[in-house]
Amino acid sequence: MSETDVQPERISGVVGDRIAGAVLLVLAVAAWSYSFNFTAGFMQPVGPGVFPRLVCVPLGVISLYLILRPGFNQRWPHRAALIRQGCALALLTSYGAFLEPWGFLPASLVTVILLIRLFGARWKPALVCGAVLTVGLYGLFEFALGMPLPNMPGLDW
Amino acid sequence: MSILKRARHGFAAAAFLGAGLALSSPSQALPIDECIAPADPGGGWDFTCRSVGKLLRDLELVDGSVQVTNMPGGVGAVAFANVASERSDDSDLIVATSTVGMTQIAQGQYPGGADTMRWLAMLGTDVGVILVDDESEYQTLDELLDDMINEPDSLAMAGSSGAGGWDHIRALMLAKAAGMPADQISSVKWVQFDGGGPAVTQMMGGHVDVVSTDLGEIAGFIESGDVRVLAVLSEEPLPEPFEDLPTATSQGYDVTGYNWRGFYTGGDVSDDDYNAMVETLQTLYDSDEWKDVAQQNGLVPLWRGGEDFDDFVRQSIENVQEVSREIGVIE
Amino acid sequence: MDTLAFLAQGFAVAVEPQHLFLALVGCALGTLIGSLPGLGPVNGVALMIPLTFNFGLAPTAALILLVSIYYGCMYGGRISSILLNIPGDEPAMMTTLDGHPMARQGLGGKALGLSGVASFVGATVATIGLTLFAPLLVGVAIQFGPAEYFALFMLAFATIGGVTSGSLSKSFIAACLGLLLGTVGLDSVSSVPRYTFGWFEIYDGIDFIVALVGLFAISECLLFLEDTRHSDKPTLKLGSALPGMRSAWQCRSTITRSSFIGFIAGVLPGAGAALGSFLSYTLEKRWLGRHGKFGQGDPRGVAAPEAGNNAAAGGALIPMLSLGIPGSGTTAILLAMLLSMNITPGPLLFEDQPEMVWGLVAALFIGNVMLLLLNIPLVGLFARVLRAPGWFLMPMVVMVAFVGIYSLSNSAFDLYMMLAFGVLGYILRKLEIPTVPVVLGLLLGGQMEYNLRRAMSISSGDWDILWSSGISVGIYAFAATLIVAGLLFNWLVKQSR
Repeated sequence: MSETDVQPERISGVVGDRIAGAVLLVLAVAAWSYSFNFTAGFMQPVGPGVFPRLVCVPLGVISLYLILRPGFNQRWPHRAALIRQGCALALLTSYGAFLEPWGFLPASLVTVILLIRLFGARWKPALVCGAVLTVGLYGLFEFALGMPLPNMPGLDW
Repeated sequence: MSILKRARHGFAAAAFLGAGLALSSPSQALPIDECIAPADPGGGWDFTCRSVGKLLRDLELVDGSVQVTNMPGGVGAVAFANVASERSDDSDLIVATSTVGMTQIAQGQYPGGADTMRWLAMLGTDVGVILVDDESEYQTLDELLDDMINEPDSLAMAGSSGAGGWDHIRALMLAKAAGMPADQISSVKWVQFDGGGPAVTQMMGGHVDVVSTDLGEIAGFIESGDVRVLAVLSEEPLPEPFEDLPTATSQGYDVTGYNWRGFYTGGDVSDDDYNAMVETLQTLYDSDEWKDVAQQNGLVPLWRGGEDFDDFVRQSIENVQEVSREIGVIE
Repeated sequence: MDTLAFLAQGFAVAVEPQHLFLALVGCALGTLIGSLPGLGPVNGVALMIPLTFNFGLAPTAALILLVSIYYGCMYGGRISSILLNIPGDEPAMMTTLDGHPMARQGLGGKALGLSGVASFVGATVATIGLTLFAPLLVGVAIQFGPAEYFALFMLAFATIGGVTSGSLSKSFIAACLGLLLGTVGLDSVSSVPRYTFGWFEIYDGIDFIVALVGLFAISECLLFLEDTRHSDKPTLKLGSALPGMRSAWQCRSTITRSSFIGFIAGVLPGAGAALGSFLSYTLEKRWLGRHGKFGQGDPRGVAAPEAGNNAAAGGALIPMLSLGIPGSGTTAILLAMLLSMNITPGPLLFEDQPEMVWGLVAALFIGNVMLLLLNIPLVGLFARVLRAPGWFLMPMVVMVAFVGIYSLSNSAFDLYMMLAFGVLGYILRKLEIPTVPVVLGLLLGGQMEYNLRRAMSISSGDWDILWSSGISVGIYAFAATLIVAGLLFNWLVKQSR
């Protein structure tokens, strides 16, 4: 659901695909060699390391092919976009950390408001919609669906 | 990977804060208000929590309802670790477990031993059975065990636990009782399926020869006559409608293999709270409702509670460790 | 004739006003739960079981409510697939491939209408198949041993190139990555932890729902953040659902074929609805070859997986009812529900409790019709939701995903895992590596590996067992034919240029 009017631009993937190929090749080789640590299971003709190794072979081979014959990529984001994305990820990571100690309502309220700001809304609609969304979600999960969410410390109902 | 690392720090911080809060507020006394099922919805542990939770409420042994929390991971190891590190003094919490979880502890698969927790009670037990297809050449346990000893690699056994798990150990205990030399035990093939039902249907399709699993899950196949029961691993014959099934003991093999269902709670729960929880569970056990629920689900109601149960768990762990060592599952 | 008499009796019970009302509530609630990313039939039915106890519903009424929720969830999963490119649950994943491109072209309403009809037909075919052939099919299903299941999964991955219109090698890379991620966790055969690096949270493996929501929902959100200038505009125009009904008629042969394939996949326990929708889509794409514009909004690309996954969901009831074996997480929940109502599925169920079986079948028919009718007003409702600006809709999606995932395991770890998959999904999209095969690998890899190892346990390590039965040879031959035909076809196209 990116912008409906702009077609994503395709660019040559010479750099991107080669980096990805190299990373995946390293992953395949590392997973291959690490799988020898899985001690053969008790009374099993095919131990726990065999299947991962069977998967690593095609993964490694196709990664090599990707390095040799790179395809196309989509346009990579600019610096401003990268900063926004980084902020969103940092925000959501800290949400995960604060959800339990703070309780659902305060942690979500702060997160949603900042998130809506990040998506380009002004402060006023962000505050209003953030509050509505938080309370709505709380009601939906806590009461309608009966899935308990972490409460605010010291507050128990 | 850096995000995951950061995540770990965040998680540690959250856990630390959580623990701090738990310490600062005096832990809530009874009644039980949460049951952790250390598995996904739908399995045996989930069922134990949901049915016991519902009964606690119906019998008005608790205020309000008992919340069931699913905490899957590592055959119960995740829930075990979580309770040990964050909720060890939480006296309104019970965690479902069974022989399967106890076997994991015995084989060192949990982060801690039996001392980490306080063992509350068992409420009922399922019993192991040894089955073959109704068209199988084996009519009795003797015939099966003879073949197993003479041509160990001609048979494929199946069950719902992994190699060295409870279903497997029960079957091997029989082979050992029949005089199978220890160095041959590892030549009997073991095939693991996702449950007793799948194992039985694979046997009906002719893909495996023998199934060792719990009775409860596959009772329908016995009643329909699709499978033949060679042995029930209980001390006494079972109640109706399974009273005619032969026990291993009656055929001269002194082997039993139960799969009990029970609960533990955190290791730092006070004696008073612990005793009160055991008492609540005993009231539940004594009710007719529990007898009904147990019977519907193929369980034999069986009570062991408090210190008695604690001793039983420790003793069982030692037994399983001994057998596992003999068979070669653990060093 | 007994069967039909019981079925008629079942219908008589199911159309009582109270039961119709419960079916309506169940369908609407199920659709809502199914359309929330991260929440699917497993949660829906699991949550409702205590509720039915609390209301003290009679067994029949409870069954109707729960079955309606089950079908509603299957049905709701496609809504967010089509409109947001975020599948509500794993069987709905394939619907994103053509459903979302259709929505981007302003044909979202048409795609929803079409998928509604396709789902209806798929589910109806499965229910009829269940009514007529259940005992026969059970006999076929038990012929599938570990080696045959392994062959079936090989077929699925051999045709994975058909998932997207992009590069074949990138599809295979994605599948291998998914399979490798699928091996993470405690190996259930030998209890050896694999690639867990001491984290207990992943001892049970990487939850595919967490991966699915991360790869689709979070990465979609990151993509949106690239350019927020248009975020106060409504996100999509939806259009009407009515053209979808006409379009369904044009896709009738696709729907028929896919219903059949999905039903067969569903009957085999362990294969499940995801494989049903996957095989329906890829085989249909192979079948139509260059006549289709798959991946760019071809209506048949919506009809095929939707008919397939609903037929599979119906087919999965056969092994569940007559053998007591749940073929998927969803049927496992239904099984638990039946057990809690004192009904023990198994070989005797059809003989001992025919009224209950046919009551269930009648409930399925009713739920189906109800969902088809709900389809049209629901499209209007979703059109209204989509009129919300992007800066509101995307944070809402993210928050629902967070809360949904958190409620699964009550652990913050899964949230970080979801974010990591979001970043991975974003990077893969930029590299034009499709994300669908990653989830498929994760989802099917475990069963694929365990069936391989079961086969090897039976044969004591002799690999010949994999191609020693007629069924497995037949499956491999079919897979080989598809691959060779595909290559030959491409070669002919090149020659003719």
